[in-house]
Amino acid sequence: MRKYLQIFKTHWQSSFVYRLNFIMWRVRSLLQFFAVYFLWLAIFSTQEDVFSYNRSTMFTYILGTAALRSFVLSSRSVTAGVEIANGDLNNYLIKPVSYLKNWLARDLADKLLNIFFVIFELGLFILILKPSLIPPASFSNLTVFILTAILAMLMYFFFSFLVSSFTFWYPEHNGWPLRFLIFMVLEFLAGGLFPLDIFPQAVFKIFRLLPPAYFLFYPLQIYLGRLSPTEITTTLTIMMFWLLALYQLTRFVWKKGLKIYGAYGR
Amino acid sequence: MSVITVKNLRKYYRVYQKEPGLIGSIKSLFHRQYQDVKAVNDISFTIKAGELVGFIGPNGAGKTTTLKVLSGLLYPTSGKASVLGYTPFDRQPEFQKQFSLVMGQKNQLWWDLPALDSFILNREIYEIPPAKFDKTLKGLVKMLDLKDVLKIQVRKLSLGQRMKCELVAALLHSPKILFLDEPTIGLDVVMQKKIRDFIKEYNQKYQATIILTSHYMGDVKELCERVIIIDRGQIFFDGQLKEIIKKYADHKVLEIIFSRQVSRQDLQKIKDIKIKEFDFPRAVLTTKRKSANQTAAKLLEKFPVADLNITETAIEDIIREVFTGRDLS
Repeated sequence: MRKYLQIFKTHWQSSFVYRLNFIMWRVRSLLQFFAVYFLWLAIFSTQEDVFSYNRSTMFTYILGTAALRSFVLSSRSVTAGVEIANGDLNNYLIKPVSYLKNWLARDLADKLLNIFFVIFELGLFILILKPSLIPPASFSNLTVFILTAILAMLMYFFFSFLVSSFTFWYPEHNGWPLRFLIFMVLEFLAGGLFPLDIFPQAVFKIFRLLPPAYFLFYPLQIYLGRLSPTEITTTLTIMMFWLLALYQLTRFVWKKGLKIYGAYGR
Repeated sequence: MSVITVKNLRKYYRVYQKEPGLIGSIKSLFHRQYQDVKAVNDISFTIKAGELVGFIGPNGAGKTTTLKVLSGLLYPTSGKASVLGYTPFDRQPEFQKQFSLVMGQKNQLWWDLPALDSFILNREIYEIPPAKFDKTLKGLVKMLDLKDVLKIQVRKLSLGQRMKCELVAALLHSPKILFLDEPTIGLDVVMQKKIRDFIKEYNQKYQATIILTSHYMGDVKELCERVIIIDRGQIFFDGQLKEIIKKYADHKVLEIIFSRQVSRQDLQKIKDIKIKEFDFPRAVLTTKRKSANQTAAKLLEKFPVADLNITETAIEDIIREVFTGRDLS
């Protein structure tokens, strides 16, 4: 455990080296808040209800996903693909350290930093624009929301790691083409652009079975109190199932990949 | 006691071939012709504890591939490798704590942080007790003269300084076995010498078993008694370095400086010699090892010689000529 704590610390140290890079990255996150806010502000200027969302609910959903995104969808394990392709993975494979846990530790370091700044930025945003937002439906909703956010974070971590693993077989461009395609679709299916339940029922029924729906959409539904206790239980069960499945699949693919790993880079 | 055993090891890579040009690229989208590259093709050897062995061979001979198999990075196509009684590919932590791999062209240090931060990370990863860590680090820093660079960002270090730090990072857990892949590549002669001296000292001080690959014969000549020559995935020679000279160099080299004009034809009249170079006033000849002295005496007697040197064929030359399959004499 101590070694991963040290990896966590070292990752932080290394993140702070580039101050400018760090600031620009935060500015980008803040701009994202503004962009989605003004988009929905325009939509709500002509009507009071959009689908089953009123103004406050929608703003809370949209700003909530923007904030949650920096916790759930912010894995650096993209770099794992690069390290497989250029052989830097060697450094880890020869040491008594787990590559997966290494990235989890580094991701957690990143995410913790993100949470801290997102809270600050969101506060700033609310202070300036005073959007109408709604608080969590209840204390237990907030608790379950936090739990699902953590589950979503882990699900996404294994998912992203899995995508990186395909670089073992297709090292071209460090695995970027596949990643790019998958993440375009994912953004959409996660409900990052708009809530998934505005789709026709038939389409939504399919979407809700896929892992991305649980990255952003479901945690926020719970926050907003739009799910019944039964639905919450179902959601948690599906999330646990996907988490376990993604974990097992990642381990399996990784084991296969290592056997054909070329340890390139000379 | 042997600590490394390799038996009938093979590692083949599957690569696809692409015809040159755009047409070739488009064709390869639909149909790919695969081919096995036999990077290591049936090699066997054993290495005893405390040995310092040099792997030599041209680029692509299979040296690095062998080291990667021994480190557990590559899964062998067939055959067996055993290091300290472990199968490397299993990557057991107990095994990993006892060896290290240093690649001259790869780095493990965190680029944006001072080397010391990477060292501390390794302390945790290898679970080195702090007291032992401090002692080892102090010793290594002294041996390599690194005191002033530990707190400087790695990206700002010179190649030589960085290589030294890489060595420190690899040695903090006091590995019993060390694989060094081109540790002196790209370094200037002074730094090469320093690294070499260090490797030698480390080997003697800690009785560490070391396998070293290098393109610089200087490294191998100075450090290794035993060499394994690999070519096209197979072992070509395995034995004492001096044996190479005995086995393959049955000739000696005579270098002569003449004091007055001598013609090539006159020189050719001498028996048992071959003229390698002739560029008045200098000539380089080779002659049979056994009769080298008599031939030299004859040359001194018949020609106006200002200077004469008898030397062994350089190991570089022997090896190069062995690889290119040319006649040595």
